[in-house]
Amino acid sequence: MHFLSQVAHWFTTSAHWHGTDGIPHRVLEHVEISVLVMAVAVVVALPIGVVMGHVGRGGLLAVNVSNIGRAVPSFAVLIVALQVTHHIGAVPAFIALFFLAVPPMVTNAYTGVREVDPELREASTAMGMTGAQTLLRVELPVALPLIMAGVRTSAVNVVATATLAAIVAFGGLGRYILEGIANRDNVEVFSGALLVAVLSLGTELGLALVQRWITPNGLKPRDSVKNEPIAGAADALRPAPTPP
Amino acid sequence: MSGAVLATGPNSWVWWPWVTSHGALIWSATREHIELTLIALAVGLLLSFPLALAARRWRWLFAPILGVTGALYTVPSLAAIGLLLPLTGLTRLTAEIMLVSYTLLILVRNLMTGFDGVPDDIKEAARGMGFSPTRQLLRIELPLAVPSIIAGLRIAAVTTIGLVTITALIGLGGLGRLMYDGYLRNFHTPLVVGATLSVVIAVAADLGLVGLQRVATPWARARRDA
Amino acid sequence: MRIHRMTRAMALGLVLVVALSACGKSKSSSSAAAKKTTITIGSEKFSESVIMAEVYAGALEAKGYTVNRKLRLGTREVYEPAAEQGTIDVFPDYAATLLEFVNKAAGEATGDPAATLAKLRTRLEPKGLTALDAAPALDANAFAVTKATADKYHLTKMSDLAAVAGQLKLGAPAECAQRPYCGVGLKNTYGITFKEIVPLGFDSPEVKEALKNGNVDVAEVGTTDGTLDSLGFVVLQDDKHLQPADVLTPIIRTKALTDDIKATLNKVSAAMTTSELAALDKRADVDKEDPETVAHSWLTSKGFVKK
Repeated sequence: MHFLSQVAHWFTTSAHWHGTDGIPHRVLEHVEISVLVMAVAVVVALPIGVVMGHVGRGGLLAVNVSNIGRAVPSFAVLIVALQVTHHIGAVPAFIALFFLAVPPMVTNAYTGVREVDPELREASTAMGMTGAQTLLRVELPVALPLIMAGVRTSAVNVVATATLAAIVAFGGLGRYILEGIANRDNVEVFSGALLVAVLSLGTELGLALVQRWITPNGLKPRDSVKNEPIAGAADALRPAPTPP
Repeated sequence: MSGAVLATGPNSWVWWPWVTSHGALIWSATREHIELTLIALAVGLLLSFPLALAARRWRWLFAPILGVTGALYTVPSLAAIGLLLPLTGLTRLTAEIMLVSYTLLILVRNLMTGFDGVPDDIKEAARGMGFSPTRQLLRIELPLAVPSIIAGLRIAAVTTIGLVTITALIGLGGLGRLMYDGYLRNFHTPLVVGATLSVVIAVAADLGLVGLQRVATPWARARRDA
Repeated sequence: MRIHRMTRAMALGLVLVVALSACGKSKSSSSAAAKKTTITIGSEKFSESVIMAEVYAGALEAKGYTVNRKLRLGTREVYEPAAEQGTIDVFPDYAATLLEFVNKAAGEATGDPAATLAKLRTRLEPKGLTALDAAPALDANAFAVTKATADKYHLTKMSDLAAVAGQLKLGAPAECAQRPYCGVGLKNTYGITFKEIVPLGFDSPEVKEALKNGNVDVAEVGTTDGTLDSLGFVVLQDDKHLQPADVLTPIIRTKALTDDIKATLNKVSAAMTTSELAALDKRADVDKEDPETVAHSWLTSKGFVKK
């Protein structure tokens, strides 16, 4: 109990709410880079995945790129980015986070468009739609839940890994955790960890709500996997975010 | 100085003489990495059973467990370490608790959805044939949940292999040790070697588990080949 | 057919992994031949600490001791309590910085190694720790700039900074502003107040990158850091002697101390000079030799260890 009261004290210390090392500034840094990375990554990843799904090419790559992406440790990417660019802070952080964010969105965009019922595609062609019209008016809306799930996965991964970026002198909430570990200040570590947990959870829940909101009623993902022989397919509907 | 793509010698991206002269170091780092991963997977799998069986028995637990595990999974590993430090200190135990937490979160979900995915008509048929609840669980539901379990193991294995590198920040790390040394001394080679091997064992684990899945579900093969 | 082959292969693989992990555990300690006690030596993660710990370890092993190495443990905040609790017996440290660590930055360290060491001994005694003789080798805090900056503002010594510091950013540990030999001391001794202090750690990869690419104009470094030359950095001379005596000192748990260990480590310390330590650091951090190898070659060259 004594420890928790120390944590409460940390949060109520006015100095911790002001200045560059204050909670508002660190949260802002963390959110800023996450939003920036996601904005750029969405613009890059979604068109690629969607077009690949539409023309049906590069499936093997699209499906496996997120597996391989998941296998590359973000820790290493951050340090490599530091050593290649000779910059600290936001630059290597952006690079590492960008490469983390792209693969799940490419995979999900591809899978989402690919798995549109072929009959729907045939019907659109029969109705006289061009390829682009089919893509925009039929495939994309149907693929939207899966695409959104990919965006959600990426966003949560980015917010999580932005914590780790503190090792290349990026700010953000990871600073509290790293400084606390270095100074053996368990109160600071725990408080920073709490803040990070809240932000991650908030991102996940917030985007889950957005996903549910934009999913047309008839297309809400099934909750059970009764008819899937391999549960892996259902993973695409309920993606597992990768904590870094 | 360093970073020149085609530099030779110690500042090149892969200084091969270092690799050949440090085989023992690389191997011990890899072994530690694999050990930590296997322990986390085994313990996570074991611990996931009671929870999944509870959800199977008491249906109302299903959604909350799914919700809580999904939520906890989003907490970044560095933060998880941070939350554990006051309790268990800078020890191997902290690292293992953190790793097991994430494998547990993944495997519980997959085990639960695996059981949940057994079609009701099969369960009814088993009851009709006089299977006891235990026999039904062991002979029918568990085998049918295997694909889901292995799918979970695949994700858990690859995720854990990545997370082990982060334990370098608390004195462990497996291949993360090489990466950390590379960071401290601005030495590219151990960094690249550590990262590459980490990817290699992750891909190997993934492929190995895919193979295991095929072996463990011969009926799915029949359906595939049909 | 395919199934059997695959199953066999996987079973073999599984057996291999289990066997190989068992292999590691079967490495038993050679307790049969140990007539002297076992000493556990710890160090920090950076090369100089590992080198010094390996030097002590090698010297003790040459005298017949069994040495457990717990190298690269972490910062002082980790290994000093570990020594108090007995998890490690010996660690290399710097007299002034350790003194300021245990007295909670009271500012007791001075430029006089003997006085600083004496003060350190009194502070360590209640913790069950003993500081042995210090080496001549000194690794002091210092402030470095790029050659371009030095040329631009005509900087060779710390006093030169006073006039221009207000336009410059310093990369240093987060607590610099409150520290007697950093922010506080710079202001009181040199009249230096920097435009901004960016928390990048002490002599870290990040602070050196930041100095190199201009994110900061001045960085706090260690004087024996072997990479400074190759990075084109200029260390400013501490002309008013703000920095205290950070001489290399082995710290040992008082209960683990024997006369023989004391004599062995003191003899080794006496042979380590500043320039030699700097050269060893350079071999590890610039030439990328293993700190362990570097330590052993030094011990051999000095005759502490037979080749």
